[in-house]
Amino acid sequence: MRKSIKVASMLAALAWSMTACRGSSSEGSAGEKKAEGPQSTTITWWDTADSTNEAPKFKELISKFQAKYPNVKVDYQNIPFDQARDKFKTAAQANTAPDVMRAEVAWTPEFASLRYLAPLEGTPASAGLDDYLPAPLSSNKFGGKLYGVPQVTDALALLYNKALLQKAGVSDAPATMDQLKSAALAVKAKAGADGLYLNPGGYFLLPFIYGAGGDLLQVDQKKIAINGTEAVKGLEVALDLIKSGAAAKPDLNSGYNQMQAGFKDGKVAMVINGPWSVADDFTGKAFADKSNLGIAPVPAGSSGKSGSPLGGHNYVVYAGSKNLDASYQFIQFMNSAESQAYLAKELGLLPTRSSAYQLPDAAANPVVPKFKAVIDKAVARPTIPQGGQLMIPLDQQYVRAISGDKAPKAALDAVANDYKQFLKDWN
Amino acid sequence: MAEAHTVHRLRRTWDKHWYAWAMVIPVVLVIGALVGYPLLRGVYLSFTDANEHNVAATIGNLHLDDQFQFIGLRNYQSVLGGADTKFWAVLGRTVVWTLSCTFCHYSLGLALAILLNRPLRGRTIYRVLLILPWAVPAFISAFAWKLILARDNGIVNYVLGGFGIRPLDWLGTDTLALISVIAVNVWIGVPFMMVAMLGGLQAIPAELYEAAEVDGASPWQRFWHITVPGLRPVSATVILLGTIWSFNMFPIIFLMTRGGPGDSTQILVTYAFVAAFEGIRDYAVAATYGVLILSILLVYASFYRRALRSSGEVW
Amino acid sequence: MMAPKSESRATPPRTFRRRGERSALASVLLHATLVGASFIAIFPILWILTISLRPGFAGSSEVHLFEPSSLDNYRYILTNTKFVSWLWNSIAVAFFTTLIGIFLSATAGYALSRFRFPGHRPLMWTFLVTQMFPVAILIVPLYNMMNKLGWVNTHTSLVFAYATVAVPFCTWMLKGYFDAIPVEIDEAGRVDGLTPIGTFWRLIVPLARPGLAVTAFYSFLTAWGEVAYATAFITSDEKKTLAVGLQTFVTQFKQEWGYLAAASILITIPAAAVFFFAQKHLVAGLTAGGTKG
Repeated sequence: MRKSIKVASMLAALAWSMTACRGSSSEGSAGEKKAEGPQSTTITWWDTADSTNEAPKFKELISKFQAKYPNVKVDYQNIPFDQARDKFKTAAQANTAPDVMRAEVAWTPEFASLRYLAPLEGTPASAGLDDYLPAPLSSNKFGGKLYGVPQVTDALALLYNKALLQKAGVSDAPATMDQLKSAALAVKAKAGADGLYLNPGGYFLLPFIYGAGGDLLQVDQKKIAINGTEAVKGLEVALDLIKSGAAAKPDLNSGYNQMQAGFKDGKVAMVINGPWSVADDFTGKAFADKSNLGIAPVPAGSSGKSGSPLGGHNYVVYAGSKNLDASYQFIQFMNSAESQAYLAKELGLLPTRSSAYQLPDAAANPVVPKFKAVIDKAVARPTIPQGGQLMIPLDQQYVRAISGDKAPKAALDAVANDYKQFLKDWN
Repeated sequence: MAEAHTVHRLRRTWDKHWYAWAMVIPVVLVIGALVGYPLLRGVYLSFTDANEHNVAATIGNLHLDDQFQFIGLRNYQSVLGGADTKFWAVLGRTVVWTLSCTFCHYSLGLALAILLNRPLRGRTIYRVLLILPWAVPAFISAFAWKLILARDNGIVNYVLGGFGIRPLDWLGTDTLALISVIAVNVWIGVPFMMVAMLGGLQAIPAELYEAAEVDGASPWQRFWHITVPGLRPVSATVILLGTIWSFNMFPIIFLMTRGGPGDSTQILVTYAFVAAFEGIRDYAVAATYGVLILSILLVYASFYRRALRSSGEVW
Repeated sequence: MMAPKSESRATPPRTFRRRGERSALASVLLHATLVGASFIAIFPILWILTISLRPGFAGSSEVHLFEPSSLDNYRYILTNTKFVSWLWNSIAVAFFTTLIGIFLSATAGYALSRFRFPGHRPLMWTFLVTQMFPVAILIVPLYNMMNKLGWVNTHTSLVFAYATVAVPFCTWMLKGYFDAIPVEIDEAGRVDGLTPIGTFWRLIVPLARPGLAVTAFYSFLTAWGEVAYATAFITSDEKKTLAVGLQTFVTQFKQEWGYLAAASILITIPAAAVFFFAQKHLVAGLTAGGTKG
């Protein structure tokens, strides 16, 4: 009798663990559609926009879309930007990715090279292709095909506190790096505030590099250019601004936050930042009067040109999506000129269609036309699958150069060295 | 005749141990399936050139098969001996990090447990307050301490400024940043050590102390001859586990400094993450780092076990 | 708790204090130390609380210690986000993880402590080894496995993933605690006619309450605050746990400090409550008396 109890308990323990391993009723994975009617589909959209400020407006656009196309239901998921790339890639290799994704410009070539994206030429999603600004569109082209359409674009600009500059006797926004330095020093001397705050991030160093005529890479020649003479000159200009006191000593750990805090409180007169920060700026006491915020292109460097890195986000469609047609329809609607103008008016996001800039909605937000001038001069970053890896080495070495641990040339040589690790046959 | 004997022996073994196995089978199956398989596959991948491009994937109707190739020890060669490898520097820093954290964890945890093990007014309140850092999820602690230690508007520098001390860049200066993240990890880990030790202290019978007292033992002698040996099983365990835990502590450094400034707070896990996942995912390199970390910790555990055995503990 | 003072002693006058007595100075030092330690322990939490009550506080360039407070952040969290869903999700996942964690690690830990069964040493090493591999590397294979089981975007996946994290650790912990319980108790149980499992349930488990409390805390907190697996496995907003939901406030260029702080306080309160109610189990029934008659 006792023996059978032992055996029974043993079997029970085994059985328990077996059932634990069998799949329980699956509650569905991302992208599963619920059939609402005979012909309706549900598509999933992973959006990386700010969930507190921007997401509500996107949701309003979605409800307009659903009103127009009642057969298509949209499952809107807001995914924090920092996680979105990893999450998409994990889901994409397991066929659980969303139908539509908002991919940053640097992610798009990477996803395309991994075959995760559906080509969009000839589909409703690429309607009005000529209407797009060429630079934002270029990040969607890979291997001769079009894998996305640009949703919003942005570039770094020189944002300044008009009142502080006036107090320092500076009448116009500085147009060259030399003017930038003298304006900043004037502010420090006469207005009792820091003239400039440079965020110690690689992306924010690019205006200096481009302005000096340098670049990260020369894609056509497969050449690593980050440690070329022009780039080094650009870095030296930035370091000189900090050393001379024109720019405040940046916080090497949370520089972006400190830059914004100082700018918003009126303790810093000029910063280099993008359109996403404008809404944040308006919450600060220095810009309670919105007209106090000035927007100008980044100053030109020694090459005579002003170069600002182009960023932005694209709509892409998952290659394994089961609802391609609905996805194309969705993108066509969401990326129409009217939709883009609407987002421009409500959120200050810069449209990627030139016709959108003509619509009254776009002009309603005063920030938008000013940034358009900046976008026109912006420089697109290399459209290679490894594009997303270019910033981290630059971040690390820029910090080293600022703290004086490395000379400018040595720092950029280290960056070039890191690039060689994943750009193996480049020189 | 021989078979009957073997069967008899097997049945005796079964009789003797079936309940032990029954108690252990569920865990073995779950861990085996969910951890064992990925781990073994990871070890295998470390000998290949597997990356996101050439592993199996399912994209809609497109089924891609594994297309990576076996490359032997090449990954290990480049990580351990490559011209630009930062592995050894990062390993050294990881050892410093782990030793400092574990030492502080254990000593502070033990000290607090001993203090709390006495009759004391407000003991419950102290206990709850002191274990509160454990209740806060790690990423929240990371954000909070990042704010507190900020150079320009953090409260620590604000208070120091009140005493006339120049503000320090706690997270932006090389060595200071490492000290800061160690301090934060200690802050997070001490409550667990304290609670574990407290549990261990409670299990030491009070009569041992009373008998020692009657025999004229000093407090120090009582500590050394009763408390320390009585805590040995628990101490041995928590030090081993705490070391492994600190060695692989990812969120604190990743969220507070991203390994910066430069890479002066980069430890093996954070470095491996960047190396493997920043671009096209390099599963082989990730697995290589995983195996290296695993090997280092295994070697450590073996030495630890040997040291314990010589002092009387048996695993 | 004070030992009785003896009236006459044949031994030379002692220079040590009796156990349980303290001079006034020692008391003051003791309390001062504990107060200091408690302050360091709770200060960051108090700081987050401060931030949560003052919208715009953390985004300013200066430290303003005294400013009007408001509950706006909390109001926003509770009304404009799916915080309540996240809370229920976290409670469910944490509850089952704790249950499974305690059950699996107690049984396994006891078996490892008491029985020298064939395979016990490899098993202990296996539990140790599974903790040594960094989590980030396991995420993709685990995701694919969950996908095959149909568990992606379910809480079952999280419970099992957290079990794989918590159980090895807790098994080791509990083995240490069980090792400290004298084997005489098991023998006493056998003498009384209990099966090994009966001994386990009736005699050992009550004595191992501190160890079980630690195990419960650890399993609960693993599930409560874990981010990596939860982010990878859960895709829809309603199913998110608190840890994942909080990430929504960390945007590409700006952290919403006010909301993050308020949500952090709301997350910490249940965990602290669990601690408060369970910490009395850290005081064990003393083993003395268990083996005597």
